Amino acid sequence: MNFLKKVGPVAQVVAVAGFAMQPVLAHHSGAGFGTETREISGTVKEFQFTNPHSWIQVNVADASGKIVEWSVEWGSPNQLGRDGYRPATFAPGTKVSMKVHPMKNGAPIAGFVAAKFPDGKTIGNWDAE
Amino acid sequence: MHRNRWAILATVSSALVLAPSVSYGQGGTLTPFDKLPDWSGVWSMTGGTVFDTATQTGKGGSVTPGVREHPPYNPAYEKIYTGHLALRDEDRYPDVQTNCGVPVGFPRILNLPDAYEFVVRPDVFYIIAENGGNTMRVYTDGRKLPAKEDTWGTYTGVSVGHWESDTLVWQTIGLKGSRDNDSILDRTGLVLSDAAKITTRMRKINENTLEAKMVIEDAKALTKPWEVTKQFRKNKPGLFLYDYGCAENNRNPVDQATGKTFVLGPDGKPAN
Repeated sequence: MNFLKKVGPVAQVVAVAGFAMQPVLAHHSGAGFGTETREISGTVKEFQFTNPHSWIQVNVADASGKIVEWSVEWGSPNQLGRDGYRPATFAPGTKVSMKVHPMKNGAPIAGFVAAKFPDGKTIGNWDAE
Repeated sequence: MHRNRWAILATVSSALVLAPSVSYGQGGTLTPFDKLPDWSGVWSMTGGTVFDTATQTGKGGSVTPGVREHPPYNPAYEKIYTGHLALRDEDRYPDVQTNCGVPVGFPRILNLPDAYEFVVRPDVFYIIAENGGNTMRVYTDGRKLPAKEDTWGTYTGVSVGHWESDTLVWQTIGLKGSRDNDSILDRTGLVLSDAAKITTRMRKINENTLEAKMVIEDAKALTKPWEVTKQFRKNKPGLFLYDYGCAENNRNPVDQATGKTFVLGPDGKPAN
């Protein structure tokens, strides 16, 4: 979360707005993702800040307590980087809640909508959906 | 009689002097740097990746079922496009770009997300698209377009242009079209043939907006010229552009046999 403090509130708004204006998943069709929004909570395992899209790997406990690794797809690191995000944005070990659009077939893979950290800081439009 | 002959000769000579309208070269005269417009900086296309929003019907983006455009296709190409749309609606239209193997080509290079640089030099104009990455060259050093028999169909074709005040006018031929099903204009499945000839006029319409107006002619695919306009907004100064290794971590390859876009799980296996 240091990067959000670093860039300041105005840049945060610009960053979120800039991100929202981008055709984020332009590389492919968003195949398999539904439109329903689901909230998941867990611990960041890895942030793949790589092209063509970044992926946030999050360990999430299911209803039975079993840990399931979710893959959450986000934008290209190039655009995210220009919007102020960094590989440390989702540092391994960080607790996080996410709003995502999961795959329609139930696989633990989803498109990113927004994230909220324990200190209340958010990325994306957390309150929109 | 002699007078008529001279009149004909004068007409022909005038036509040769106006050669840029035919050849798109600028007669070997380079426009010096200080006479060229300033298109420096980092630019981004405005809007989504529907190629021709002016004729779009249906609400959404290029992968939204029901969205389509209405180029003046002849019946044969309308049938091809309708087939692509049906596949797109089933999420099975194979966009080979997704496999990170070939350039997007022209005119799709003017229909990309992420960022652009437009490099203006006296002898050549470069389009550098971060997405892909993709590059295109427009020669403004006075050369003429090659004869048809000297072109063989490439993704960005061959382009020659000239400056009309602050407007760069260029013509592109030698495009491969959809010959190998690997050159499309957007994800709705718009395609052109290898007969496509595109005339583009690009200029700054204000300090922060570049506009490219294309007139697409295609005797095999279109019943009349198709006009499409794309715009690009200037980003704030000081931004960095980066390389774009599409194959770096591509977790969405397309199965060319079925057209299906896979979503790979953390184990590298398709989850769909």
